[in-house]
Amino acid sequence: MSVNAWIVVGDQPTVGNLVTVARSLGGPVGAVVAGPRSVAETVARSGVDKVVWCNAPDDVPAEANASAVADAVAADPPRVVLAGRNPGERVLLGAAAARLKAAVLTGARSVKSDGDGVVVVNAVFGDIAEETVAVSGPVALLLDGGSVPTADGTSAPIEEVSAPPLGLKVIETRTHGFDEVDLNAAHRVIGIGRGLKAKEDLVLIEELARAVGAEIACTRPVAEGLNWMSKDRYIGSSGARISPQLYIAIGIAGELQHMVGVTGAETIVAINTDPNAAVFKQSDYGLVGDLYQLVPAVTAALK
Amino acid sequence: MRIVVAYKWTCDPQEATVRPDATVDWSRAKPGLSAYDPVAIEVARHLAEDTGAELIGVTVGGKGVATPLARKAALGRGLDRLVIVEDGSLAEAGRSELAAVLAEVIRHIGDVDLVVTGDSSVDVAAKMVPTVLAGELGWPAVAEVTSVTGQAGALRVERAIPGGTQILEVSGPAVLAASADAAAPRVPGMKDLLGAGKKPVELLELAALKVPTQNAVVTVIGRALPERKARKGQLVDTAHPDEAAAELVSALRQVGAL
Repeated sequence: MSVNAWIVVGDQPTVGNLVTVARSLGGPVGAVVAGPRSVAETVARSGVDKVVWCNAPDDVPAEANASAVADAVAADPPRVVLAGRNPGERVLLGAAAARLKAAVLTGARSVKSDGDGVVVVNAVFGDIAEETVAVSGPVALLLDGGSVPTADGTSAPIEEVSAPPLGLKVIETRTHGFDEVDLNAAHRVIGIGRGLKAKEDLVLIEELARAVGAEIACTRPVAEGLNWMSKDRYIGSSGARISPQLYIAIGIAGELQHMVGVTGAETIVAINTDPNAAVFKQSDYGLVGDLYQLVPAVTAALK
Repeated sequence: MRIVVAYKWTCDPQEATVRPDATVDWSRAKPGLSAYDPVAIEVARHLAEDTGAELIGVTVGGKGVATPLARKAALGRGLDRLVIVEDGSLAEAGRSELAAVLAEVIRHIGDVDLVVTGDSSVDVAAKMVPTVLAGELGWPAVAEVTSVTGQAGALRVERAIPGGTQILEVSGPAVLAASADAAAPRVPGMKDLLGAGKKPVELLELAALKVPTQNAVVTVIGRALPERKARKGQLVDTAHPDEAAAELVSALRQVGAL
């Protein structure tokens, strides 16, 4: 069986979307799993035709199996390699792409088979433009991984390989105190930016979020730098991209790198002190003023 | 120990304009060090100071990456020397090609123990060049790195993972992509910039490096402006916050957003 598309997988079996895309291209689909055996077993029930699992010691992170993954992919060279967007899978995809001397595309909106090659509609430069590209030869695609497959599918065979891991070892894993969140599942999202003056003021936002029924998200500097929220809550070209019914941007200037993450929102509201902030042109409803007055007022109006 | 920082000299898409035919006009954008690369340099500089390592900046790209301004911007941040490949053909190069050229430069330098990069480039933001580079070198890569301590052969690397952090021991050469908040980059002073002019810069010819050819050919066959929802752009009068709030809530209920 010659594989047409390989999916490379790390510690999470979030391959729902990858399997859908790989299947749409026709031909057999394989998965190489660099993470734990349990992930390989879940992926085997996701609708792929075969799974290769890299058996490595428990204290070895998925990235240490990058060469083993590249070996497995190159042993049955595909037209397409796919991976989800998390850091570990980016490393595995990079190793496979280097081995295959494949093109790498990360902004694919659609992927289609075209003769021996593929045609990809690819967003470029933080989504300011779109290119349709024809690729002849192998291509590596970084995509949104999607959901965990349901467990009732029939299981594909799992082949085990073991290769000496690269020099990485896990010494310690610490969990942070933040709740995990799936922003993509939220119907309403409130995003906060640097306009919020102190972490304590998040209380105001939390009250509004309860009244609206929204998840709270943020711009990149709020998660990285200020460290007020976990990184899975920041929205933008390098973070989450969401399409909720309602997005409320509070204290957000409206930089391109943030706003491309919410272009799919049905309705956008902006609250900002600066009447010239770029965010107002990209919103449906704008409130110019002090968020410390306006946010409690909106919360009250909802009650 | 020898540490390489692979950085990019490029423009911010925020300063670019998109023409009606969906081509990107960079003529009004000012090139600079890619937004997160100063963080990578800072992380690597700390490690170099702690270990007495040599710190080498490497960049590969199209015309402009070797200008005096670009050299000073990188060297002023504390790199000991630079190795640059400037070639017009690299302006349009894909991730794999750039990574393959970087790998050859790192082989050319020789005895490199560690490569540090930024989290993502400000223009392309693919986050893939460090990982393909590691693949080319046969080294492991770790992304979202928040701190690096220790010595070559026994580095202690902390990185962010979903839900927390993890500490890894790195026992051989590796490529580390620093998280955007891994360090607060210092702003180079006049003395740094003056000193930068005296540091060595090696220019390599692309043709002299034996860069393996790619197996894929990518051809642009169409361009389009991304579809965007038309936004109303309505400003609600906020002279009286309570009335503004009521008006907003009523509007949102009307369109079914609440």
